[in-house]
Amino acid sequence: MSSVTGRKKLLSQSADSAANPAAAVASPSRRQLLGAGLAAGAGAALSGLAARPAAAAGDPVITEIQDWNRYLGDGVDARPYGMPSPYEEQVVRRNVPWLTADPVSSINFTPLHELDGIITPNGLCFERHHAGIAEVDPAKHRLMIEGLVDKPLVFTMEDIKRFPRENRAYFLECAANSGMEWRGAQLNGCQFTHGMVHCVVYTGVRLRYLLEEAGVKTNGKWLLAEGADASAMTRSIPMEKALDDCMVAFKMNGEALRPEQGYPLRLVVPGWEGNMWVKWLRRLEVGDMAWHQREETSKYTDLLADGKARRFTWVMDVKSVITSPSPQAPITHGRGPLVISGLAWSGSGTIKRVDVTTDGGRNWTTARIDGPSLPKALHRFYLDIDWDGSELLLQSRAIDENGVVQPTKDELRLARGENSIYHNNGIQTWYVQANGTVENVEVS
Amino acid sequence: MSKFLKLATAATLALVIPAASASAEGDPASGAKVFKKCAACHAVGEDAKNKIGPLLNDLIGRTAGTVEGFKYSKAMIAAGEGGMSWDDESLDAYLEKPRDYIKGNRMSFAGLKKDGDRADVIAYLKTFSEGAQSAAAAPAPAEAPAPSTQQQAAAVPAPANAPKAAADAPLPDHGVFHLGRAATAEEIAAWDIDNRPDGPGLPEGRGTVAEGEVLFTDSCAVCHGDFGEGRDRWPVLAGGQDTLKAERPVKTIGSYWPYLSTVYDYVRRAMPFGDARSLSDDDVYAITAYLLYLNDIVTDEDFELSKENFTSVHLPNEENFIMDDRDEEAQYVAKGEPCMSDCKPGSVKITKRAMVLDVTPEGGDDEQQGAGSVD
Repeated sequence: MSSVTGRKKLLSQSADSAANPAAAVASPSRRQLLGAGLAAGAGAALSGLAARPAAAAGDPVITEIQDWNRYLGDGVDARPYGMPSPYEEQVVRRNVPWLTADPVSSINFTPLHELDGIITPNGLCFERHHAGIAEVDPAKHRLMIEGLVDKPLVFTMEDIKRFPRENRAYFLECAANSGMEWRGAQLNGCQFTHGMVHCVVYTGVRLRYLLEEAGVKTNGKWLLAEGADASAMTRSIPMEKALDDCMVAFKMNGEALRPEQGYPLRLVVPGWEGNMWVKWLRRLEVGDMAWHQREETSKYTDLLADGKARRFTWVMDVKSVITSPSPQAPITHGRGPLVISGLAWSGSGTIKRVDVTTDGGRNWTTARIDGPSLPKALHRFYLDIDWDGSELLLQSRAIDENGVVQPTKDELRLARGENSIYHNNGIQTWYVQANGTVENVEVS
Repeated sequence: MSKFLKLATAATLALVIPAASASAEGDPASGAKVFKKCAACHAVGEDAKNKIGPLLNDLIGRTAGTVEGFKYSKAMIAAGEGGMSWDDESLDAYLEKPRDYIKGNRMSFAGLKKDGDRADVIAYLKTFSEGAQSAAAAPAPAEAPAPSTQQQAAAVPAPANAPKAAADAPLPDHGVFHLGRAATAEEIAAWDIDNRPDGPGLPEGRGTVAEGEVLFTDSCAVCHGDFGEGRDRWPVLAGGQDTLKAERPVKTIGSYWPYLSTVYDYVRRAMPFGDARSLSDDDVYAITAYLLYLNDIVTDEDFELSKENFTSVHLPNEENFIMDDRDEEAQYVAKGEPCMSDCKPGSVKITKRAMVLDVTPEGGDDEQQGAGSVD
């Protein structure tokens, strides 16, 4: 592992990139670009993309005519499906190869540190598959409802789109988000520590309408949702939740679901762990008890220190994280105005308040929530400070509409031990050094 | 664990001479689908690397056992040194019964029984082999087309379904919206294969530990190991008893899973990885029985698991599962306004640092290994 020398080399590359962004775009390896973000401990972050003092002759990007100011660009048909600027090429999902045996049954992470607002772009929503991406032909997709119903039914996609629709923004968080941090600070970037979450606007149909169409019998207390992929993913869902706010969705952020998010149809289970949001949804079975499938017994159960294990831990608890500054988003300007920005969410409703500390939790200031505050959706918060250039220990602490306060990691360890894997909603600490680099740490 | 059953694996080792028909030209598009059975262990195409099996680029014409950096069995290296190379004929014979064609090689894939499947997958692999390009004018590997992001806008497609003409077609009599149609019994049977801890859903059938051992060795051991010990980061299926309170718990069927029904259901619906639904109901009973044996829950090699005796078997950890009681934890019970100032005495110290571990990926292929996993 030659990370130290590797990083030093990267620093000079990133300085080049700053002087000539086009050069960086010509062949930017991800290593280079991410390396620039991660360049820890070497102090070069401050030389990054900040406005440089004008030399006597003036800033060449002003005094010299730029190519884009002279030559014609592409016409309207050049990009029938528009993509981000090549200067944003580093804004991608990334995985942690050592976490899983094979990328077909694995996870990657949303680049939270590069995003703002509350909506996650479709191509950046983290992926978790248990048998790879099922490429389903919507003309051959069917949704079956059977079991304890008056009349077992089969729907085509066309049928489903004839029910009354609704649009709802919800976060989806994997139960294992932050799961690698139970034993202590491990991964250096909020993409990796917190990136198993996304928030999009779903268009779909209330699950209640579909169930009522088939007629749920009075002893139908549970629902088994099944996917059409090669893992035939299944989860048991209590009927009360199914009839409350669950949806079957066929659009995300206005366009068809992406294949990796379950095209053409997925279940939406607001506020509950992501594994239950069955993708490529093809079957709903009504029963009188839970099925105890693999993903609700051997996985997605929370082992406690005393050897007992909690099951059916569905709700995602109140949680927040500062997305910038963070290890992949160091401070690249000097002292003065600094925007501290982050995300907060709760599976039980809206976020009432987010507090931020810069001294590791001794003193807290209430942050400003900006943008829509929707139940079971991401909330964006900001704290605008005047940074004096000294070291910071940044944390955020969310409080949801029920008054539930985000706990510390140590409180969670005290209650559960370190082997729960799932449901780690503890407070995250970022250590900001005087040179602007940021590290994932824990504090006393 | 020294209970590996010496079964009649030797009995079937008659050397298979490839059937003369080095079969008709395969279809690479169909081969791409067949290859999904191989993809758990083998990569092919751009950026392919060695996985559990060697990468398969430029396979055609390659001498057996010669991919750089891959640890082959002695048998495979010997085959190559003996002059064996991969062509239509050798691949066809090998893929039909890998264990028989090169005895002692490590590929524990059971084989492709259908001639057409083998021809198709060979045709598919040829599209990644320069040596084969001249022979077969390589059609592009048929995958679903990526959404076009370049060049011209696609022609506006015709609506998939022309509006149905009949204004007065009869509406189904169910529900509020009268949408959907009745599911047939056969359709329900085709998809409803789940089973529950108390029995419902189990199909007719039976299988013994001894039968399961043969199946497991052929279809499961490549990832899970001969004794369920798990290769690389694939799931460990056996052992781990009395580790749940340990610093590093080993969560297996025997040590952790609450219900045997989950084993049957999961194997039936999703295993072997990359070849789901290929096992018969009897096969699944046999594999489940063998997993009980590997976990010391049954000890008799002649034990037969069936629909009839299934619910009489209980897993040791069943009683240790409890309902969600997070609300009762101290940090949630103690409601109230959180502290805003002077909340900690003295200055705050850093106690743990991610940089010390240095397991954050940087986009390269560094072989870092952190603690924990997502499974």
